Amino acid sequence: MTTSHRHRTRRRLAATAVSVLAAVSLAACGSGGSSGPGTSAAGGAQDGKPVPGGRLKIAFWSDFQACIDPNQVYWIESRSIDRNLADSLTDQDPKTGKIVPWLATSWTVNPDATSYTFKLRNDVTFSDGTKLDATAVKTAYDGLHDLGAKSTLGLTYLAGYKSTTVVDPFTVKVDFATPNAGFLQATSTTTTAILSPATYKETPEARCAGKIVGSGEFTLDSYSAGKSVKLTKRAGYAWPSSLITNKGEAYLDGIDVSYIAEDNVRVGSLTSGTIDIAWPRQPITSADQEVIKASGGTIQTRALPGIIGLLVPNVTAGRPLADLQVRKALYKALDLPSYAKTVYWDGYPVAKSSVTSTTPYAADQSAKLAYDPTGAGKLLDTAGWALGSDGYRHKDGKKLTLTFLTNAAGPGEQLVQDQLKKVGIDYQIKVVTAAQLTPTGNAGDWDLSGGYLTRADPSVLGSTLDQAVSKSYQAKYSQDPATGAKISALFAKGLSTVDPDKRAAAYQDLQDALIDNGVAFPLYDRLQTAGVSAKVHGFAWTSESFLRANDIWLSK
Amino acid sequence: MPRYLAGRFAQALLVLWAAYTVTFIILNVLPSDPITLQLSAGGADISQLTPAQLHDLKAHYGLDDPIVVQYFHHLWGALHFDFGMSLTQNVSVGSLISDKLPSTVTLTAVAVAVMLVFGLGIAFLATYVQWGPARTLLARLPAVGVSLPQFFVGLLLIQVFSFSLTWLPATGTDGWRSLVLPSITLALPGAAMLAQLLTRSLGDTWQEPYIVTARAKGLSRWTIQVRHALRNASLPALTLLGVLVGYTVVNAVVVETVFSRNGIGQLAQQAVLGQDVPVVQAIVLIAAGLFVVVNLLVDLLYSLLDPRVARAGRAA
Repeated sequence: MTTSHRHRTRRRLAATAVSVLAAVSLAACGSGGSSGPGTSAAGGAQDGKPVPGGRLKIAFWSDFQACIDPNQVYWIESRSIDRNLADSLTDQDPKTGKIVPWLATSWTVNPDATSYTFKLRNDVTFSDGTKLDATAVKTAYDGLHDLGAKSTLGLTYLAGYKSTTVVDPFTVKVDFATPNAGFLQATSTTTTAILSPATYKETPEARCAGKIVGSGEFTLDSYSAGKSVKLTKRAGYAWPSSLITNKGEAYLDGIDVSYIAEDNVRVGSLTSGTIDIAWPRQPITSADQEVIKASGGTIQTRALPGIIGLLVPNVTAGRPLADLQVRKALYKALDLPSYAKTVYWDGYPVAKSSVTSTTPYAADQSAKLAYDPTGAGKLLDTAGWALGSDGYRHKDGKKLTLTFLTNAAGPGEQLVQDQLKKVGIDYQIKVVTAAQLTPTGNAGDWDLSGGYLTRADPSVLGSTLDQAVSKSYQAKYSQDPATGAKISALFAKGLSTVDPDKRAAAYQDLQDALIDNGVAFPLYDRLQTAGVSAKVHGFAWTSESFLRANDIWLSK
Repeated sequence: MPRYLAGRFAQALLVLWAAYTVTFIILNVLPSDPITLQLSAGGADISQLTPAQLHDLKAHYGLDDPIVVQYFHHLWGALHFDFGMSLTQNVSVGSLISDKLPSTVTLTAVAVAVMLVFGLGIAFLATYVQWGPARTLLARLPAVGVSLPQFFVGLLLIQVFSFSLTWLPATGTDGWRSLVLPSITLALPGAAMLAQLLTRSLGDTWQEPYIVTARAKGLSRWTIQVRHALRNASLPALTLLGVLVGYTVVNAVVVETVFSRNGIGQLAQQAVLGQDVPVVQAIVLIAAGLFVVVNLLVDLLYSLLDPRVARAGRAA
């Protein structure tokens, strides 16, 4: 153990407290759930012939939500486990974002996206022996809808849900009162996973604690919140989605999940062979990546789809960011390539739009986000903020101070502070507890706040920024009424049609408008990383950047 | 003695009630609404709920009553060991606690035993051994123990004994092997403090005239140390031990995080940050209960070790 290593360890541990603090804010990342095109870093063909047997040991960082029911969880790690327990009507191709058949063999959608009809496979059973048919799907969707606020993701996925109708034993129709063009993508998520009808007779609490039965390639043996999850392979499984190479039973005998909060201990457990996969929430640091690679392991990486790491302004009259010129200057003052390189590592993707690059319909806005400190200075001069002798800008005797509201300040915030100081902006970091974040945000005494959310559909931006839908403090304070109306209209346009070309055009306009009006400041792209031991083959991501274990096998 | 006991017991109950009430007030004064907290934890917003849904949620958690009613309702529940539902985890506080308490209790019990063995052992040797350098070394050792941060010691032990030598597991709560490293880590600062105090007070006791008398009577160093010095020197150490047992529970937060043990410490940390009022209340009550019980035991032991204490109590 070198001195620098020790030092790092120590800082890391201090960071543990911060990361738990971050837990609640990170939970937001869990909301929304979908997927988008992306690099599926599968172990792939070079691995040779799969050998059945063995148990995969995987360690996540936390089980904050303490729930395993796919219909209720928003927590990313739980959804990764659930993906291997329960199947959904459709699947989403991580490479193209295309929705492909799974439990449903085909589907039709009416033009205004209010009615969806699915034809189901007729050879699927739940692990309790019940057959999966149209009635089971109706029970599941009604059950998900009945969860109401207990399923925070379900609330948005089923927005406008009216009813599910059994058309014939293997055909169901889902109707909405208002257009929900995002629903097809929602049917591919773990949140809308179809559980056995018997499951919906249990209370939501019992389901959370593990009283769930799915039709997945694994069954749930035991779940002890925050401690462990044990899965066993389902004998006779034969209905994976078309994205999966292995058409039959899983190669693994089972999966053992544990939770290790400390990064250093998790990485050490991987390199010493105690676990096979180390799966943190924050990207594995470049130093830890070296340690893992030195032990023969690999780093698997996939960009999470959804809202990128954003700064959202408060444009309330009287605050500095009420002036569009100051917001424009802020774009020029932020050096995004150096942020990606400094906070993460050389080669880490640079933020290019308000959604991540793996989100369908993502549009490259990098020309508008270019770093130009001189240009920023000029804009601020024009806006009346003159550089003072203290290195900061002033106007009418007031210093140009931007207060950033967060519940978990990291190195990124300090870097932004440094970058903004170069153009004379005083960036203050206001840290509150997770519990105080929302009340403080609602009070509006801040200039910038952060946020991100995972879902492979650009409509996810609406949950943070659409004033017509979201009552979040970010939607409320980031746009004046005129801008808000314009932005909301663009959101509505994107959701009212299932035509890909029309949606692409609507979301291109939306992403342009968000930058042109200074509504959102893209800051950092989001990567999911996993350290994988050399004995694991066939590792694969879902489009939601969750674990897909169908093709995984272990070398002896 | 029974009157003394009854008095102490009433005092203990008063402390518990005060701890409960103060926590309740503090947590409810904080400017945040539990339902908003719970929803924002899930990335949702309170505005997404219909008034009926909101009402159901509030009723579910008993948040629709006036605050005074809530207080007495919760207090009455607490008297029956019913702490209501967790606001962030969808389950009853009772089941959360009973799920996590055993591993923390085992850990702290073993840690306190380790603390006693090391604390007593080092102090005993430091004053018993007659070779100068060994005495100095033993007397200085606790200072090192006190100054090492616990998380650092924990990570160091994991590196050496789990990752390099692979003798003991780094994580988990399975079997006695998983208790070794965390209990040593947890015991270390307490053991060091105990050893420091006891070394000092044993050293002082050896200067007392009655020790000279004992030596003059021809008693061996061993007999004097065990029968006379230790008993008299242990009074301040006993007081410290009472405090240390309490600290052990506090330090469990750090140790449980480092060793990935899913116990009360981790639960407390999550509950505080998430403002999960019922869970925090239950944990505060448990911690207060522990303090009260340990201090009661210490007081009783005091009167056994030093008859003057009991006599003074009777006189008063």
